[in-house]
Amino acid sequence: MQRKVAVVAQKQINSADVGMPRERMLYELVKSLYEEVGISRDDIDTFVLCSNDFNAGHTISNVFEDCPVGAYMKDETKVEADGVWAATYALARILSGLYETALVVGNSQGGSVMRPYLMMDYQLAPVYDRQLGLLNELSAAGLQAHAFLAKKGLTPDTLDEIAARNLADAAKNPDAFNGKAGASAADVAATDMLYEPLRKGHCYPFTDGACALLIASEEKAKKLTDRPAWIRGVGDSIDTYYPERDVVDVKSVKLAGERAAAMAGIGLKDLDLVELSAKFAHQEPILLEGLGLPADGGAASVSPSGGAFGAYAFNAAGLVRIAECFKQLTGSAGDTQVEGAGYALAHGQDGLCMQHNAVMIMSSEEG
Amino acid sequence: MTALERIVTTSVVPLDFTYNYRVGPYLENYIQGLGRKKILGSKCPDCGKVVVPPRKVCGLCNAIMDAEGLVECGPEGTVDNFTVGHVAVVKGLIEKLDVPQVLAMVVLDGASVPLLAELKGVEPSAVARGMKVKAVFRDPTENDLSDLSHFEPV
Ligand SMILES: [Zn+2]
Repeated sequence: MQRKVAVVAQKQINSADVGMPRERMLYELVKSLYEEVGISRDDIDTFVLCSNDFNAGHTISNVFEDCPVGAYMKDETKVEADGVWAATYALARILSGLYETALVVGNSQGGSVMRPYLMMDYQLAPVYDRQLGLLNELSAAGLQAHAFLAKKGLTPDTLDEIAARNLADAAKNPDAFNGKAGASAADVAATDMLYEPLRKGHCYPFTDGACALLIASEEKAKKLTDRPAWIRGVGDSIDTYYPERDVVDVKSVKLAGERAAAMAGIGLKDLDLVELSAKFAHQEPILLEGLGLPADGGAASVSPSGGAFGAYAFNAAGLVRIAECFKQLTGSAGDTQVEGAGYALAHGQDGLCMQHNAVMIMSSEEG
Repeated sequence: MTALERIVTTSVVPLDFTYNYRVGPYLENYIQGLGRKKILGSKCPDCGKVVVPPRKVCGLCNAIMDAEGLVECGPEGTVDNFTVGHVAVVKGLIEKLDVPQVLAMVVLDGASVPLLAELKGVEPSAVARGMKVKAVFRDPTENDLSDLSHFEPV
């Protein structure tokens, strides 16, 4: 990379129903970040907002976000996809040399305001799949889960165990809201069957959420904090439309991981933890395999925060994964702390059956 | 009444737009094929794969395919993957179904990629990968996508 760039601070709000409009949610979130770091909006060179017109229910979803985050009359731009792309965009803006600091803010209110499954309906081919009415986010996930279990010769117990582990981990993470201390595979197996083998307990929770990340150049980062987490590599890839693509052997995850690792100059097996946006239980082992890691992560701890099971607000979700990596690499992850975490990977996805994948590799050491 | 009590906490704001998209020559030919009880796909000039429904760009290799000269596939095929739906998602909300719905990814004879369709005439517990199935058309057809009604076991 042309310059060293680091994440300096993070703040998250995640809730089933945050009880306030998104403008207020963003104001509270960003104000708390400014106060913690001891800066004001004057210290931000560029704002990258991450929200979506469909989710917000009106055009130019960022238009009412500028004021609450302090971006009015400032340099501001927007990403509509997952937060990992927004953070990558902020990284690129700082690498350009034109900016020293970037505030990335993602949000959506899928818990109380809109219906997250509709989002995927509107990504379907309008003249074909939307006419037939067979594909939706859950039926596609059920087909992907079935294909995965069949290919690996596994039973649905595997999905129950993955969900239970994530729910139990999320209970230890104060930034997650959907945790369940002592969650068991039997609890998950008792939830409603949706599209076999997919049960309600295998799915991400509808979430009102927002996440803010302060990203800065080396010089600025060192002034703002004693403990930055360094961005070492990014990678993303977009695969073809469902269903003519292999949804078990996901090429775009592999490509994204390889690109980020090459940029970081490490092997993916050197990672101490991965924070995955597995929206459904079966997507966790699919992602791990795509990254060339064993099903239990091997040396890498898998989503110690509880991952997408703890909270999943589209747009904010990928930023939350980066924020969780930041917490781990700066030794501030509390009860979810992975001892001696040096390298971490954050993942974000978009599209039916993980059509788009993006990752960011971060480190505790400057490198 | 205090100011707080007058607050309407939630406004319900539906969005209901209607778009009249052109389907384009590829799907037009496909739909007209269904009207003749034939399932058409496009054959990729580069990788040789046959994609159903037909389209301009081969998703497997990015080559441009011709809207004319489509090839007939099926009507029989093989179940490649399936799911048994116990719910439907209606306008973003989960609704329970009284009768489970089997959705199958069927690779039609002569095709290279699967087609998603409903599978009927079989107990959900008896559905298996590799099962031979055949297309059932609406009779009479109406030159519409729904002319391909569903699949059933051979
Ligand atoms: Zn081709």
